[in-house]
Amino acid sequence: MTTAERRYGGPSDPLAPCVHCGFCLPACPTYLATGDEADSPRGRIVLMRALERNEIGADDAALAQHLDACLGCRGCEPVCPSGVAYGRGLEAARERLFEERGLPPLARAVLGMFRHEALWRPLFTAARALRATGLPRWMAGAGRTGFGMGMLAASRQQIRVGATGATRDAMPKHVTLSKAKGPKREGGPTVALFKGCVMDTLFRHVNDATRRTLEFNGYDVLEVEGQGCCGALHEHAGDRETAAALARTNVAALAGSGDYIVTNSAGCGALLKDYGHLLHHDAEAAAVGAKVRDVSELLAMAGPRPGAPLELNVAYDAPCHLQHAQRVHDAPLAVLRAIPLLQLRLLPDSDHCCGSAGIYSLLRPAMARAVLSSKIEAIAAARPRPGIVTTGNPGCLMQIGAGLIAAGLDIAVAHPVELLDESYRRLDRGY
Amino acid sequence: MVDALGRIVGPRWVRHRRAELATYTMDGLPTRESYPGVVVMPGSTAEVREVVRLMHLTGTPFVARGAGTGLSGGAVADPDAVLIALTRLNRILQVDPRRRRATLQPGVVNARLSEAVLPHGLHYVPDPSSQAACTVGGNVAENAGGPHCLKYGVTTNHVVELEVVLPDAAVIRLGSRQGEPWGPDLVGLFVGSEGMFGIATEIVVRLEPIPSSVRTMLADFSTVRGASEAVSAIIGAGIVPAALEMMDQACVEAVEASIYAAGYPTDAAAVLLVELDGGADAVEAEATTVETILRARGAREVRSASTPADRARLWQGRKKAFGAMGRIAPDLAVQDAVVPRSALPDIMDRIEEIRGRHHLAISNVFHAGDGNLHPNISFDRRDPELADRVQVACREIMAACVAAGGSITGEHGVGSDKIDYMPLIFDGDTLSAMRAVRLAFDPDERANPGKVVPLHACREWRATPAAR
Amino acid sequence: MSDVIFGRLRALLGTAGVERGSAGLPRATPESADALSLVCRLAHDEGWKIRVEGNGTWLPADAPADLAVSTRALDQVQSVSPADLVATVQAGTPLEALRRRLAEEGMWLAIDPPGRPERSLGSVVATGTSGPLRHGFGPVRDHVLGCTVATGDGRLVRAGGRVVKNVAGYDLTKLQVGGFGGFGILAEVHLRLRALPRADVTVIARGPRDTLSSAARELMAEQLLPGTLELLSPALAGESDWTLAARFAGTDAAVQADVRRLSTQGDLVWQPLPADRTAAFWSLVARGSLGGPVTLRLGVLGDGIDETLDLLAHDLDEGLVSAGAGAGMIRWTGDAPVERLRAVRRAAASREIPMTLERAPWPVRHALGHFGAYREGVGQLVARLRDTFDPGHSLSVALEGGE
Repeated sequence: MTTAERRYGGPSDPLAPCVHCGFCLPACPTYLATGDEADSPRGRIVLMRALERNEIGADDAALAQHLDACLGCRGCEPVCPSGVAYGRGLEAARERLFEERGLPPLARAVLGMFRHEALWRPLFTAARALRATGLPRWMAGAGRTGFGMGMLAASRQQIRVGATGATRDAMPKHVTLSKAKGPKREGGPTVALFKGCVMDTLFRHVNDATRRTLEFNGYDVLEVEGQGCCGALHEHAGDRETAAALARTNVAALAGSGDYIVTNSAGCGALLKDYGHLLHHDAEAAAVGAKVRDVSELLAMAGPRPGAPLELNVAYDAPCHLQHAQRVHDAPLAVLRAIPLLQLRLLPDSDHCCGSAGIYSLLRPAMARAVLSSKIEAIAAARPRPGIVTTGNPGCLMQIGAGLIAAGLDIAVAHPVELLDESYRRLDRGY
Repeated sequence: MVDALGRIVGPRWVRHRRAELATYTMDGLPTRESYPGVVVMPGSTAEVREVVRLMHLTGTPFVARGAGTGLSGGAVADPDAVLIALTRLNRILQVDPRRRRATLQPGVVNARLSEAVLPHGLHYVPDPSSQAACTVGGNVAENAGGPHCLKYGVTTNHVVELEVVLPDAAVIRLGSRQGEPWGPDLVGLFVGSEGMFGIATEIVVRLEPIPSSVRTMLADFSTVRGASEAVSAIIGAGIVPAALEMMDQACVEAVEASIYAAGYPTDAAAVLLVELDGGADAVEAEATTVETILRARGAREVRSASTPADRARLWQGRKKAFGAMGRIAPDLAVQDAVVPRSALPDIMDRIEEIRGRHHLAISNVFHAGDGNLHPNISFDRRDPELADRVQVACREIMAACVAAGGSITGEHGVGSDKIDYMPLIFDGDTLSAMRAVRLAFDPDERANPGKVVPLHACREWRATPAAR
Repeated sequence: MSDVIFGRLRALLGTAGVERGSAGLPRATPESADALSLVCRLAHDEGWKIRVEGNGTWLPADAPADLAVSTRALDQVQSVSPADLVATVQAGTPLEALRRRLAEEGMWLAIDPPGRPERSLGSVVATGTSGPLRHGFGPVRDHVLGCTVATGDGRLVRAGGRVVKNVAGYDLTKLQVGGFGGFGILAEVHLRLRALPRADVTVIARGPRDTLSSAARELMAEQLLPGTLELLSPALAGESDWTLAARFAGTDAAVQADVRRLSTQGDLVWQPLPADRTAAFWSLVARGSLGGPVTLRLGVLGDGIDETLDLLAHDLDEGLVSAGAGAGMIRWTGDAPVERLRAVRRAAASREIPMTLERAPWPVRHALGHFGAYREGVGQLVARLRDTFDPGHSLSVALEGGE
């Protein structure tokens, strides 16, 4: 094989169209944070190709460092004029790194925990209990522990409404599921709720809001047993095998149920939709993937029905796995526009990654914080200052929320369906 | 060296491991590759100065690099050289809207500057197609152009003052905020010196008001010649459009297949993009004249846009055309030649003839208004015989442009890519004069060595007292 | 000595190529760039000093030298391309002749330098003296695409090119434009042209200086972009009060629209000049800068004009002033002793304002220099560049003064 032949892995090579133009640089959060070509999509493509050609081995520390430092946000894909499939290239490179090098201990521990419900459920349940004490909010700050506490505190925050800052009563400690009292259409579409791991524990209130808002918009929401973690974190880390195992469990549980499968976590949604590819085009997995929708997509399809006014100044921040991976841009905005009086804004860099990226913020806190800082600065500089930042992914909610607390900004974070749910609650007509 | 650099900028900002250096082997032109010895990323002007002083004391060659989007292999360093990446120097130091000036560090991204001054109703005019990524420091080094330089001039017309670290680490200030040279026009001399005179660490640029009225028109032609003739006819009518761009069918097809699809007609042999700006009445009147000319020269359809969103859509295809070439084939030979505008129709025929004879895929996207051609040859370098034909064709195209009275580069610079073409347009005395000027700034020839001036073609320049 | 030089020049250029100039100084009048370079080579080899002369209407021909080189026989418009809007013109070509020739073919060189109409193109380019049109069309450097220069030691450097966009090699042309002949003698210039404006309208307003200059700044803010927005002192314009002159040149539609808009802006009363008086008016402005022995140019931005004019009026006198209200340039003509001029240059430099001595008798030029008060490190760089282009220091030019 000549050098040239090795350079391109054949017509299916997702990286082949890269002509090195550099138009991806300004879209890359890590490049913006360091200015280092090795932390840019274009530089990483060079590294991936070198890995593929065996010019640099998987055991090369520098190569691993810069490929590991990729957030996987895929913000580079929509700006690439040649349509380089960066995400696919990264997936292959990470798989190779995982096979030959394995994972660092911390990542291995964390991912191992997510693999088994018997491990993550008690842990997140305990975290919820801790959150309920108010201690995390009190301990939250800019230091490493403080930031972690901030993330926990940010996973559920009060929504304060009105220019005067009038505060709604503290969230009820235990939300009881209320069957939708809205006008349910007979024979309306049925939706299986993908419960997830973090969403089913730390963010159960978002799952509840999802169920309520969907039912209010005419969907029939089904509970499906036997689900687990989606496997996205494992897939991002190159552990395709574990991801596939988790996917198979979910496919078995979800196959055949509902017209749609709904998730409110952008990260989960991106992989769920891609289950067909993950399981090597298994027909059942592809069928499940094809039915997956982000909650905002289903709500937008239904209208959604307008709610009661919420006098809120809201900045929307687009989760990478929603806008880049799933290419869903407008649906969350449609959800928020269903709330009268809510002032919606997109701040500068709202389309840039916040640095959360699954377990990235845990493994590479310094880079994650560097990436986050420009977003926090943009929010802090906004006039008038938003009262709430809303985004549809648990990691982003926690990362941005903790960042706001660390910066001493009194700005809450919330999932868009939480806001819609709050708006519907105030309708006083049997929501 | 790694340790010494680390002491200046902090070890975190020195890159020396092979994988890291691999990412710095190319700029925007992937056909020129070389591993730099070390990459250093200074975070302040003072650090740049200290790094350059270290280079001076150790006699080490160095190469300054911005975002690495240059298209002439100008920011590529040899293994004995230190690559100084200036991306961290990305602060806009001052904006003075009243006097229409901005002071910035060299690593500021071109488009970010315009975004920052937008609230004042101002913008920075030079708009190379890579403006979303490229740095103003790189623009200064290359004297970058862009579609709107037809009416408003290139980088050299918009830079008024520079702080420069010379290769011996002396810091000098050239020009004045007012734009009046302070002595000989050293700012004019420095802009476009491709990193061989020193490193600009502070740049004062002119800002211009955003025109109150802008009209963008898209015309499609069934022949390239018709489109080329329309270009000359518009200029001949005394109209100076803000921009006048052409794309041929191959280019349009690539763009329309990309996410930047702008709705260009893919069955046209060529499309022209004409932009007029100024006062509303004047733009209106000139648009009518332009449309008449376009139709008279055979335009099948003329579309017109005046809202920012519609105009942006018409433009984005043009701006991203180069990047979209990866859709045609994995490798791309980017050309950048200039011909007198009147030679456009003939040179386009000639390029087509060369393309046919060598059986190549050539797409043309260029600044027609000032005769600045970008014939891009798509190929796959796995086929060595094809790669050879590409080289021959490039040389033939360049020779044809020079024969027509043109130049070997209009905006990409010479770098390492076009150095062999320099003797086509400059004689030995002129090349030696260039080298002698370089020696006045850099007596040891350590700043971006081996670029622009082919030393073998220089006549020996008489030894002078001060320039050694 | 003078006879020896005369004889050697005659041997080189033939009888027609050499004459006796003022005070019997041998004066070479080469007809080609090659001949010019031969004269320079000879002078360099023999250690003779050269004084460069154009048509003798701007800088006085008074620099001490062993011989004069005049570009007056380099007076050919070598090529003109209306389709490309470029021309190649020999440096000794009188502007007036060039202008007529271009107009015949529907083209225009948008430079209106101070001085007499017969001033040579080379003089304008070498001294970088732009006029009021600088506001809308840029300084001289923006109109020069390339040039051929004979260096002090007789090499021909062909800088730039003939196309409107070109970044091949270093931009050596910039060193020659406004280099006051310190880096060589211009033989030919490649010019960027415009289509001859279909409409060319000048409107003027009169009033106190401060009123006019602040009105000019407002017009700038309103994005009205005339080709010229020039503030003229009473003495220069031959009026009792200051004059603000706006000139609009372009297509009929654009000019009409702009003039209409101007009349609706601000409080000034604008009066259009009759078409038959426009040329005479601007010619008067250009000649105004010859009304005293010394002409200075100061780079000043719009809002600094009043302050700088006050400084000049205080330290020198009100003089004959033509100031680009938008382009940020003041041209002052008058008379003053060297010490005063030097003090003004220092005062200007302390305000970050560069002052160029555009025109003066040799003793003033010699003492003050065209340039001076350089910022740190620039002087050494300029000296090295001069050594590069004039290694024997043959060219009798006072770039810097002898302080």
